[in-house]
Amino acid sequence: MRALGLDPVDDTRRTFDSLLAAVSRPGTVQSAPSPADHAVVSTLVDHEVTLATEDDTLEEALSGHGRIDAEPPETADIVHARGCTSWDVRECDRGSLVEPSGGATIVYRVDTVTGSTREDCVTATLTGPGVDGVATLSVSLPAAELSALAEAQSSYPRGVDAVFAGDGCVAALPRSVSVEVA
Amino acid sequence: MTDHATPPDGETPDDEPPDGGAPVPTDSVDAALASLDSDGVAGYNYAYLDEHTKRELRRSMLKAVAIPGHQVPYASRPMPLARGWGTGGIQASLSILGPDDIFKVIDQGADESVNAANIRRLAENTADVSTTTDTTEADLIQSRHRIPEEVLTDEQRLVLQVPITDALRMVDSSDAANRRRHAHKNYGKMWVHLYENVVEYGEIQIASRYPTMVADRYLMDPSPIPRWDVPKLDDADHLTVLAAGREARIYAVPPHTEVEPLAFEDRSFTVERFPGRACHACESTDTYLVEVSEGATESETDTFETRYTCNDSSFCEKRRTNPGIPKDHHLDREGVDWGPELSDVATDDAENATERGGNDE
Repeated sequence: MRALGLDPVDDTRRTFDSLLAAVSRPGTVQSAPSPADHAVVSTLVDHEVTLATEDDTLEEALSGHGRIDAEPPETADIVHARGCTSWDVRECDRGSLVEPSGGATIVYRVDTVTGSTREDCVTATLTGPGVDGVATLSVSLPAAELSALAEAQSSYPRGVDAVFAGDGCVAALPRSVSVEVA
Repeated sequence: MTDHATPPDGETPDDEPPDGGAPVPTDSVDAALASLDSDGVAGYNYAYLDEHTKRELRRSMLKAVAIPGHQVPYASRPMPLARGWGTGGIQASLSILGPDDIFKVIDQGADESVNAANIRRLAENTADVSTTTDTTEADLIQSRHRIPEEVLTDEQRLVLQVPITDALRMVDSSDAANRRRHAHKNYGKMWVHLYENVVEYGEIQIASRYPTMVADRYLMDPSPIPRWDVPKLDDADHLTVLAAGREARIYAVPPHTEVEPLAFEDRSFTVERFPGRACHACESTDTYLVEVSEGATESETDTFETRYTCNDSSFCEKRRTNPGIPKDHHLDREGVDWGPELSDVATDDAENATERGGNDE
C-alpha cells in the first residue's frame, strides 16, 4: 500500500503484530505504523472480505489494487469509522451462533486512545479473557458510542470486535471482554 | 511360498536413477545440500507466504483470539511439506514472524527432530529470523504436542500444531452436528463419554487431547499435549495459537484466560505421574518424563534398558549443567513456577502407562 505511505510487507506485518497483541491483551495500547487506521485496514482488507469506509484516500488506494469490495456498514465484514459514526454499531453484522467469527470488525479512527484515565476521553473498565484482573481503556469517543459498542458485543459469542486506531497506536476491544462504560 | 524372490517382469531390482537426472551426492545430507546452487527460495515473498495468504491467516487469527476456543475456518494453503506435518503451525508462525523475532521450534519436546529442524530452516531462509533452542530467548515458539517446561512470559507467543481440531470428534464424527453443539454450548455428549469412562475404568482415561473448557464457553481440543501441560494454559501469561493445516481451522487461548479441563466433582482431573522416577540425565523429578528404551551396551547385543528422560530436551540440557534450576529461573517474580504440584503423588499408581482411550496420532 505504497499509495498510503505504507510498506505492503513490512508495515502490514508490524501492524498485525500490534493488532494481535492488542486483541489478546485488551486495554493495552500498542504502537503501529502511521496513519494507524489506514495501516489496520490495509493489513486486513482484500477482495475476500467486504469493507465499508468513508475515507476516499483509503478507498482509492485499495481499489487501485482491486482489493475493495464495498458494502454498507450494516453488512460489511470490516467497517472503517472516522470518529463518530453516521450509522448504528448495533446494526452491524454479529455473525451467527454456528460461525460467530463472521461478525464485523469495526476500525475506529480516534484522536486519543490510552490505557490511563483522561478527562477528555470516555473510560471503559474491562474484565475477561486477556485481562489480568481489571484493565481500563480511555477513548476519545462519545460515551453513547462506547455503550452502543458494548451492547453490540453483549450477545457473545455473536458480536462485533472493535479496533481503535489512534496516532501511531492501536488498541482493541474484542467481544470476549466485558466492557463497563463509566 | 517360494517364488517371492523373483521380481515381476519389467521391474529392475536395483535403485539406479532414471536417465537425465543430475547426480546428487548421497553420502551425506550435508554434501547433498552443499551441491545445490541455492536454497531454492529466490523469488519467494518475505516469510514464504504471499501477502494474500497472510491476510487470510491474520484475519482468522484475530477472530480466533477475540472468541477464545472457537475454531475459526481459514484457507489453508499447500506448504512445502505434507498436510499433517505442521502446515497449520507453519502458516500461523510465518504470518506472525518478523525479522526481529527469535524463533524456536520443538517437536515432542525436542529441537533436533527432522521436522522441527526443517521448519526452523524454512523460517530462517525465508523470513530472515534468528533461531534458538533456548525457550527463554524465543519470541515465538512453534510446538508439536508439548508446552515447554520453562514458564512462558507475556512477551512470548506459542503456536501449537493441531491434528484434530474438535474435542467432540471423539464422541461424534459429524462436523456439522458438532458445530451445532458448540453453537449452543451443548456438551452433554462429552460429559456422557467421561461418565462412561468412569463407569468402565474407575477414572477418566484420556491420555492426550484432553477436552478442556475455555473461558467457560467453548470446549477445546488442546492438541495432543499430555495432560501434564493442560493446566499451563490456565491464566497463562502468553498467547497460545492453535492451528490445523489439514482441517483448515485456527483457534486460540489469549493470556489470562480461564482454561479448565473437564472433570467431575468426585473424579478430578489428574496429570501424569512418575512415582519414584527421575530423568536419567538431569535427575529432574518435576518434569514430564518419557520412557526410552536404549541398548545397554555398545556391543549392540539385544539387551535393552528402559530409562526415563525429560521430554523437553532443551531444559534437560540446562539442568545437566545447572542442576535443580527452577522452571521460572529467568523471571524475577516469585511463585510463577508452573506445572503440576508434586505433593499429591500418593493419589497415583504406577499403572498410568497402560492408559487407554487417547487416540493420539
